[in-house]
Amino acid sequence: MEYTNPTKVDESIYDDDIVRMFFGATVLWGVVGMLVGVVIALQLAWWPANLGLPWTTFGRLRPLHTNAVIFAFAGNICFAGIYYSMQRLLKTRMWSDKLSRIHFWGWQAIIVAAAITLPLGLTQSKEYAELIWPIDVVIAVVWVVFAVNFFGTLATRRVKHIYVAIWFYISFVITIAVLHIVNSLAIPATLFRSYPLYSGMTDALVQWWYGHNAVGFFLTTPFLGLMYYFLPRAAERPVYSYRLSIVHFWALVFLYIWTGPHHLLYSGLPDWAQTLGVVFSVMLLAPSWGGMLNGLLTLRGAWHRVRTDPVLKFFVVAVSFYGMSTFEGPMMAIRAVNGLAHFTNWVIGHVHSGALGWVGMMTFGTLYWLVPKLWKRELAYPNMATTHFWLATIGIVLYTVSMWAAGLMEGLMWRAVDDRGLLANPAFMDIVDRLDPFYGLRLLGGLLYLIGAVLMAWNLIKTIAASRAEVRTPSAAPAVP
Amino acid sequence: MSDTKSGSDKGFHRRVLESKAGLFTIVTTLAISVGGIVEIVPMFTATAGPEQPDWVTPYTPLEVAGRDIYVREGCYVCHSQWVRPMRAELIRYGEWSRAGEYRYDRPFLLGSRRIGPDLHRVGGKYPDAWHYEHMRDPRSTTPGSVMPPYPWLLEKTIDEDDVAASVRALKSVGTPYTDQQLANVSELLRVQSEAIVQRLAETGVQTEPDREIVALIAYLQRLGVDGRRAIEQGLTSPSVAAPIDTTAREENQ
Amino acid sequence: MRQKADRDRILGHENEADGIQEYDNPLPDWWLGLFWITIIWGVAYLVHYHFIAHRSPEAALAQELAAAELRWAATQASETEAEFVLSAEAVAEGESIFQTYCVACHGANMLGGIGPNLLDDEWIHGGTSEDIVRIITDGVPEKGMVPWGPVLGSDQVNRVAAYVISRNAEALGRDPAEALRPPEGS
Repeated sequence: MEYTNPTKVDESIYDDDIVRMFFGATVLWGVVGMLVGVVIALQLAWWPANLGLPWTTFGRLRPLHTNAVIFAFAGNICFAGIYYSMQRLLKTRMWSDKLSRIHFWGWQAIIVAAAITLPLGLTQSKEYAELIWPIDVVIAVVWVVFAVNFFGTLATRRVKHIYVAIWFYISFVITIAVLHIVNSLAIPATLFRSYPLYSGMTDALVQWWYGHNAVGFFLTTPFLGLMYYFLPRAAERPVYSYRLSIVHFWALVFLYIWTGPHHLLYSGLPDWAQTLGVVFSVMLLAPSWGGMLNGLLTLRGAWHRVRTDPVLKFFVVAVSFYGMSTFEGPMMAIRAVNGLAHFTNWVIGHVHSGALGWVGMMTFGTLYWLVPKLWKRELAYPNMATTHFWLATIGIVLYTVSMWAAGLMEGLMWRAVDDRGLLANPAFMDIVDRLDPFYGLRLLGGLLYLIGAVLMAWNLIKTIAASRAEVRTPSAAPAVP
Repeated sequence: MSDTKSGSDKGFHRRVLESKAGLFTIVTTLAISVGGIVEIVPMFTATAGPEQPDWVTPYTPLEVAGRDIYVREGCYVCHSQWVRPMRAELIRYGEWSRAGEYRYDRPFLLGSRRIGPDLHRVGGKYPDAWHYEHMRDPRSTTPGSVMPPYPWLLEKTIDEDDVAASVRALKSVGTPYTDQQLANVSELLRVQSEAIVQRLAETGVQTEPDREIVALIAYLQRLGVDGRRAIEQGLTSPSVAAPIDTTAREENQ
Repeated sequence: MRQKADRDRILGHENEADGIQEYDNPLPDWWLGLFWITIIWGVAYLVHYHFIAHRSPEAALAQELAAAELRWAATQASETEAEFVLSAEAVAEGESIFQTYCVACHGANMLGGIGPNLLDDEWIHGGTSEDIVRIITDGVPEKGMVPWGPVLGSDQVNRVAAYVISRNAEALGRDPAEALRPPEGS
């Protein structure tokens, strides 16, 4: 194979339209997904917010929230970031513009289908794999389209060596395909209903192998890839350690896949499998922190810019929360801690320190960095981006702290016994009653985070609109090959 | 910039893996496959996998219909079906959940969050009428509950053909329904639902056998029942499976 | 591994990484140490749990139950023998227990609903104080009456029973103490 590796590349050879499309979808679905999150937070604090309608009850909206923020918000930014960075890292246009479009519209169609079917109660009930079998089939097809385009681009690259961001993207494309297909195998009963091939504890294990690696390979590895591209670009500093990136990449992708059984500790899952879940979760701590170190230490020499640059602010907090939740995760996988934390709001707090902190803040930073590149126009309101940063940060703190406290309280009250050895809180309701202030505080935190995202949407829309008004001259129009 | 090859640059990773994307992809695929294979494949074996006991029987057609409603309404989002082997859970909920009890659970519904209490031993805990009232208005039976009401379950009806399709699909995927059961879904539905309607009537609740609430009650009243019976009859591991360290006890006495 | 020369040395990959430069800094010692410690811990834990201590969730439960029996069996035994008392104090405390746990089925007015009426003259499962304490403690599983003994403890069961007996007698215009006597003819 011949790698020309041109030193100077005309940016117009890249397909940035597809990046702009995924960019817009990220902002739109992000606001929608977070809004649903705020609604279901309100429903726990105040049950009449279920509205008395079948399609607006908590049981149906919670899967809508998780699917929207994971696959619509996080998914679209992954694709936007991958399409932007991989073309530049490989110095070639995407292999097929047509496949890029099929990927985009296919993915948005899946999201719309999810937004319709989940409130209707059409679900397979497996967490983050709720969508019914016909949608599962479409997901598999669209993913293959994406993969063909992705590997086609890799095959036609003009540089010889592939950069670390691409390694993480490869693990994302491959692993999600494997997880989705294996976990979704089912026999249809009707157009809307199917039953899985696996039953009981086997089904549970397959699901949590999928579920935890959705966290690992949908919300972690692609975002580490984005970090390896966008953070050094934004900081204009060299990546701290190439060696570390090799070691932590391979350790991470090898170890992550084993950790699923920590969702099933103290269950009927065979004990040997539970132990593997514990052990591999603990061993995942250092590989995770390798990513955090390479992120934070890359900022050496750029810390003075963090004070003024909102993009770097978002990245710093994102990487810090990544480090924090990947410390918390292994701790929660230890049997004794898990016995206390499982089933409680602590888990919700843990998930959101990763989701709001790592995924959300990485996304916001990437969006703010990309907008002037994609629309050739500086951000309309830079100060508003800083306001967004503080609203989001305060929101995360309120959210996670209230959920930690609530979870700890639940865990302790469920098991507390009095001096006769009987339950100190025999009525489950006594514990539910005590959660109100925490649910209120969480609602406030989520609301601040949502307001921040709405400010960002407004800021980005104004920036793009100003750019559109300006770019009416043919010379500045994006080149179409 | 210097282009001298030294340090990590000389390594196999740079020379081979990073320059051959296909090989890199293959190695990545191997790396992410090991854990899943080692953990999941043994689950299908008799020695390393979960027990497949014969003391647990498949759900009846009405219970299947009720389970589908449980899934549709997302009950598993707030209620676990998984009592852990801990003393406090035994007191609060009853016997801890044995692996074999889930044998015919497709999909599994262990849940991951207890916004409300665990339901694995709820079968037989309350009268049918309690569930009826609780679904109509959760606060009538549990003051202060945060659960939304489900009044539509009292009105909506189940479709026999739909239930028959579910039972057929479950059989094709391995649930051992007999051909006779498959042929008599409508009769099986009628007998079980009429019995529940009868019991409800005794406590002054009037409803029809084809209502969704009847199917849901049938499912909820079934939860954990096979397991509890098996534990009582000594067919599965008793509460205290391992020998207790009696020496520690004697020293204390 | 810690060659000074490697400190902040630019590798020169940037032309293949959209201009992003990379240092080849060594792995931080503490990071590498942490990784090794977790690996060693992992192996040691697995071997200890399964092959040395032969631990399991069932065994842990057995230990927990045994420890609980040691600690509380004596208190529970003495409580079971505790006399049922029909005092004004017991009735008052029983009322608040009843309001928390019993109204869902027997109604705030005690006239029944999901469960039977408690103010009429009909005791389905026996009407002596002993019967009522037993019904509350062990429940009537076939009718959906929850066994409250493990939840409330015998002390509180006694009190709620006192409350039920006193309200029933009040409604029927009888002396509550009648319930303390064995039924006629036995």
